[in-house]
Amino acid sequence: MLDWLAQAENAKPLGLLIFFVTFCLIVLWVYGSKKRGERLEEHKHIPFLDEDEKDEANAHGKKEINPDRTHLP
Amino acid sequence: MSKLKHEIIETNAGWLLVATMLAISVGGLVEITPLFMIDDTMEKVDGVRPYTPLEQRGRDIYIREGCYTCHSQMVRPFRDEQLRYGHYSLAAESKYDHPFQWGSKRTGPDLARVGGKYSNEWHVQHLIKPKSVVPESVMPNYPWLLTTPLDISDVGDRLRALRATGVPYSANAEEYRRNAERFGEDVARQLHIPDAQRNLVAQAQAGNFDGDRSSVTEMDALVAYLQVLGTMVDFRQYKPEDLVKYR
Amino acid sequence: MAATSSPATEQYNYDIVKKFSVMALVWGVVGMLVGVWIASELAWPFLNFDSPYISFGRFRPVHTSAVIFGFGGSALFATSYYVVQRTCQTRLWGEGLANFTFWGWQAVIVLAAVSYVMGYSQGREYAEMEWPIDILIEIVWVSYLAVFIGTLMQRKQPHIYVANWFYLAFILATALLHTFNNLAVPVGLFSLKSYSLFSGPMDAMTQWWYGHNAVGFFLTAAFLGMMYYFVPKHAGRPIYSYRLSIVHFWALSFMYMWVGTHHLHWTALPDWASTLGATFSIMLLLPSWGGMINGIMTLSGAWDKLRTDPVMRFMIVALSFYGMSTFEGPLMSLKDVNALSHYTDWTVGHVHSGALGWVAMISFGSLYHMIPKLWNTPMYSQRLINVHFWLATIGVLLYITAMWISGIMQGLMWRAFDDFGNLQYSFVESVAAMHPFYAMRAIGGMFFVTGMILMAYNCAMTIRQGVREARGAAQPAVAAA
Repeated sequence: MLDWLAQAENAKPLGLLIFFVTFCLIVLWVYGSKKRGERLEEHKHIPFLDEDEKDEANAHGKKEINPDRTHLP
Repeated sequence: MSKLKHEIIETNAGWLLVATMLAISVGGLVEITPLFMIDDTMEKVDGVRPYTPLEQRGRDIYIREGCYTCHSQMVRPFRDEQLRYGHYSLAAESKYDHPFQWGSKRTGPDLARVGGKYSNEWHVQHLIKPKSVVPESVMPNYPWLLTTPLDISDVGDRLRALRATGVPYSANAEEYRRNAERFGEDVARQLHIPDAQRNLVAQAQAGNFDGDRSSVTEMDALVAYLQVLGTMVDFRQYKPEDLVKYR
Repeated sequence: MAATSSPATEQYNYDIVKKFSVMALVWGVVGMLVGVWIASELAWPFLNFDSPYISFGRFRPVHTSAVIFGFGGSALFATSYYVVQRTCQTRLWGEGLANFTFWGWQAVIVLAAVSYVMGYSQGREYAEMEWPIDILIEIVWVSYLAVFIGTLMQRKQPHIYVANWFYLAFILATALLHTFNNLAVPVGLFSLKSYSLFSGPMDAMTQWWYGHNAVGFFLTAAFLGMMYYFVPKHAGRPIYSYRLSIVHFWALSFMYMWVGTHHLHWTALPDWASTLGATFSIMLLLPSWGGMINGIMTLSGAWDKLRTDPVMRFMIVALSFYGMSTFEGPLMSLKDVNALSHYTDWTVGHVHSGALGWVAMISFGSLYHMIPKLWNTPMYSQRLINVHFWLATIGVLLYITAMWISGIMQGLMWRAFDDFGNLQYSFVESVAAMHPFYAMRAIGGMFFVTGMILMAYNCAMTIRQGVREARGAAQPAVAAA
């Protein structure tokens, strides 16, 4: 078994197969189910959950050029 | 199953680390390890030998001045490069190069086979003021090479360090004997570490690379190195098919 | 550095982010000035002034190290420490260790630059630092990994946001690459000189495995981490597709490590290795463009921001350059194209369309977003940001156009034959033909560095304004500078 694996002409296609299958599994996993997809897409809002008190109060009443929070669901 | 896996990865820093490490390790493993294991990476050719102490010190100066930022040492197997520079470079020709200096840019020409193409006087002149021999050149002047005496105090240490990386410099009589068998008596003498300083001075004085025998300068070392580049293999001995199978 | 934050902001460790941000600006100015200087040396060689210390060969690593590790590295430390805290909603782990990474990293850059001009170099591109500096890098890097992982472990958010994945891959890959590419035997305990453990083809393989992945993970994956946080954040819209970002991450991490050998086409490296590298380079186009589309489409429905907000413009132009360079790269990895392009200025142009267009521009955008938040005050001048944007864009375009022309011209001149089958041009004729393009490249660089200086000025004024306001608003107990 190990001898068979040690041969480049066997190891290369096997490696290719393993990684291709892994890749397909990742893609399937990511796009396969609608419910999981929705759960994953939820994570995209993480950058908008992080406002600290300072941003909240906006200490000196200055208007941010870019109001981050307008698109929060 | 895969579902479970990815959920673990994305919510657990440790697993994310392991999975990422796996993904990034494969490419290097597949490409690098065979080079150390396969015997066929290097051509079997005669003549390639470690650098003499003087040449090695020249190589150190070549690296110190960053020559590799503008000059490659790798002739590719194309007709124009064959005409311009000579036979394409073999892997075996850089087997004692720690580090390799194949380069990535030719602001100036390739130097893999520059050895013997120009006289010592030309090289000295060119290094002091390139424009004096090549008016269009954009190479900096290196006047300090001729005025700076070569530091030979640690040349033995340098060869010892190279010996530790696998270059066959000899440290004792047994290693010397093996070198004499492999490279011949003349070369073996040059590779003997205990005699390094003496050999260096002798070669500089005999070669008179910088045109002044009274002292050993950095110019002596650099020119000695340039003059040996690409000259070790006698390509008349080989037919193209002897070499091409290693590519 | 004065502590300007009041206890209320202690939620996050901003002090370390501030320090790295300032140093990113400083190294940006220094590194790019040196870049313009060496570019000018090629156009006007008298600028070498017969001095060993600033001759092109010794000065060029000063440029590459200062911009890649000084500017890029500091920007990455700053943004990664910022992003990991905010997306994990936790304070940075290991305050002292984080401070050590700052001082350690700055020491690395200074020591590297000084050692190069003094003539100490390993002779390996982008890894010229001699062995004592390499050991310091290793220690700093392990500390960095510890701080990053430590922060991830104490996060309050169950999911690890994708930007952090990219930062983590960058930290891991850099550790791996740095370690194996710098294996060397020192001449002595008190000698700075060392000899690489490997030689010839093995050494070349290791070096370009490192060299290209320094591009892949240091200059790409890490800046993608930056992109995945700052583009959505600044646009005020979540990333276009989170699922695409997951596929992007795994495909990119896996494929990048294979492509280094495309730097060694037609050399004495065995053919199979460089062919494998070319194959993966082509495949890499897909994840790269997936990532670019993901970034750009984040803005879909809010394209008007491009008109009104120069910071957004920096980010989107950066993504466009990312797309362009990741198309050009695979093209140049084809053996036939490489036969022409390799060893020419085309490669230099390609690197800079990535480094100036993508890396620097996304960093500018992120820093312009982050600095007002760190010092809690708006940018001193929006107009200057706008001027910077145009200077940078014109600079990059001049630079890469000059290098395309000179590169292709060099390649064609070297391989041109006359009617009798002899070489048509001597080498030096190709050198002479480059002069106008070397001048044009230097001018492009001058545009770019002028923008960088404006940015440093703009940020300095912003910081001053922020410090003054904080002092005015705070109780007298707050320590002043």
